[in-house]
Amino acid sequence: MIIAGIDVGVENTKVVIIDDKKVVGCAAVSTGGVERPTQIRKAYEMALSAAGISEKDVGAVIATGRGKFDVDFVSGRVTETIAATFAARFLYPDATSVMSVGADETLAATIGKERLVGEYVANQKCTAALGTFLKFLAKRLGVALEECKPEAKDAGEINEGCVVFSELDALSLINDGAKPEAVMASAINATAIRAATVMNDLTIPKNERPILIGGLAKNAAFVSALEKVLGFKFIIPENPEFCGAIGAAVSGGKVA
Amino acid sequence: MVKEYGKWPEFSQVSKEIDWKGAKLIAAGVDVGTTSAQAAILCDGKLFGYANIHAGVDFEKTAKDVIALAMEGSGMAAKDIGIISATGFAKKNVKFASKTFDEIHCHAKGARFMFGPEVRTVVDMGGQTVKAIRLFEWDRVRDFMLNDKCATGSGRNIEVLCAQLHQDITEIGSKSLETEKDPEPVSTTCWAFAGTETLGLFGRPEYRSEKLSEAEIYASHLFAIAWRVIGIIGRLSPLDVGEISVDGGLAFTGGLAKNPGITARIERELGVAAAKSDIDPMLAGAIGAALLSV
Repeated sequence: MIIAGIDVGVENTKVVIIDDKKVVGCAAVSTGGVERPTQIRKAYEMALSAAGISEKDVGAVIATGRGKFDVDFVSGRVTETIAATFAARFLYPDATSVMSVGADETLAATIGKERLVGEYVANQKCTAALGTFLKFLAKRLGVALEECKPEAKDAGEINEGCVVFSELDALSLINDGAKPEAVMASAINATAIRAATVMNDLTIPKNERPILIGGLAKNAAFVSALEKVLGFKFIIPENPEFCGAIGAAVSGGKVA
Repeated sequence: MVKEYGKWPEFSQVSKEIDWKGAKLIAAGVDVGTTSAQAAILCDGKLFGYANIHAGVDFEKTAKDVIALAMEGSGMAAKDIGIISATGFAKKNVKFASKTFDEIHCHAKGARFMFGPEVRTVVDMGGQTVKAIRLFEWDRVRDFMLNDKCATGSGRNIEVLCAQLHQDITEIGSKSLETEKDPEPVSTTCWAFAGTETLGLFGRPEYRSEKLSEAEIYASHLFAIAWRVIGIIGRLSPLDVGEISVDGGLAFTGGLAKNPGITARIERELGVAAAKSDIDPMLAGAIGAALLSV
C-alpha cells in the first residue's frame, strides 16, 4: 500500500510518499501561518508528482507535527513523539533512542524492545524555538547557517537559558566588535546546551544507538556542539528533516 | 527575492524648501539600534533630511550609510555637516561621531520636537527595548523606566512572527483592530512564550471552525505586548494630580509606534489619546541626538 506522511512543522511542511517500505517521493515547503492549508496541499501535490502517482493511488495519509490538525484530507494523525520513534526504528531497527530538534520543538524518547516508546521528554516552554532562533539570528548577522563550521572559534559564552536573552547577548557581542561567524558559533553552542537538557532529562538513558532527526540535525556545527555537551555520538539519517513525515507514514496511523 | 514580511520598509527624504547652503549650522543625529538605524539632518534646528535603514552587523558602516542616505540628492556631503552625534544600542561603534548621547534624553528631546511642548510622557518602543520617559513641564527628564530583561525584544518578536506567518508587518496592527472585543492576551511574560502560543492558536480547532478569527489571534498577541508596555509606563513616578489624562501629553516613538494594534490598546487602557506628528516616529532618537549636540 502507498502511504503518505505529512509533517506540518512551525517553519516547514514535509511530505513523503512511501510505497512498500521505500520512500518514492518527497517534498518540503514553507508552512506559512494563515495560508497553512494551501501550503500543505501544495507540498502534498509536489510529493505526488515527484513519486509519479496520482492522489487516488494513495491508500492512507497520516499527519503529524504542530499543524497536523490543519490537514483535512487525512486517514489518521499521530503525535510527534510517535512519528519520531517510528522513523528511528524504521530506518535503524536497533535504535535505542531518538532525539528530534526542530524549529520550535525539541523532544527525546527511548525506544523499547516490545513497546515502541519507552520514556519521552519534550522541551520546556523556555526551551522552545531553538531552530527559529538560529535561523533568524543567522539572518540578522548575515551568516549562512548551513555554512557554519563545527569547532569554529566562538566569541565567548552567551546565555543558554532563553532565546530572548541569547539574542540580546549575541547583539552585544557584535556591538563589542566580535565577528558575526564567531557570534553565530556562540549561539550554536548555547542552543546545543539547551537542547542537551532535554536528552539529559531521560531518567534511563539508552545511548547505545541514539538517532538524531529534525531540521537542526542537518547542521554540522550544531550536531558537533550537541555531541560535545552530551558526550556521545548520534547516528543521523540522510534527510533528517523528513524523518517526522517518514515516521508518520510508517506508523500507518497506529499507535504502538 | 523573497518578500520581507517582517521588516518596516527603508525610507529617506530630503526637504526641498530648506536651503542648506545658507544654514549656519548643520547638525546630524544618528540612532543605530539593534534592528534598524535612523539618521536626521537638521539645518539651524529645522528637519532637512532623514533616513531609516535596516541595521547590519557592521554598525559603523550602517551609521555611515544611513547618514549618506539622509542627504542623498541634496548635494550635501559629509564635510558640510558641522557636528555628528550618535545614540542607540551601537552608539559607541559610531567612531566618527563627535558626541554620543544616551537614548533616554534623545527620545525625550526628539519627541518634544515632533509632538510639541505639551508632551509629558514619551514611550519609545523599539526592536529590543521599551523605554517610558516622564518629563517635567520644562525641558528636563523627570523619571524613566526601561523594560526588564524578560520583556526584551518586543519589536523584534513581531518581526519574527510576521516572517513566520507570511504576514506584512505594516498591516498586522490594523488587522488586529478588526475585532469587536479583545480576546485574552497570550503570555505577557516572555515573547518566546507569546510567539509559541500565537503560532499554536492557528492550530486550534476554534480557528479552523472560524470561531476564532485571524484578527483575534493578532489581537491576542499585540494585546500581550501592549499589556507589558502599560506595566512599564505604570512604574513611572506619577504626573501631578489631574494631569494624567491630558490628551496630547502622551507620545509614542520607535517602530512599534507605527503599529496601531499596540498604540490604540495602550491609549484605550490609559484613557488618553496620544499626540500626533507628521514625522515618522522611528526618527525621534536621531532627531533628539542632533538637537542635543547644538
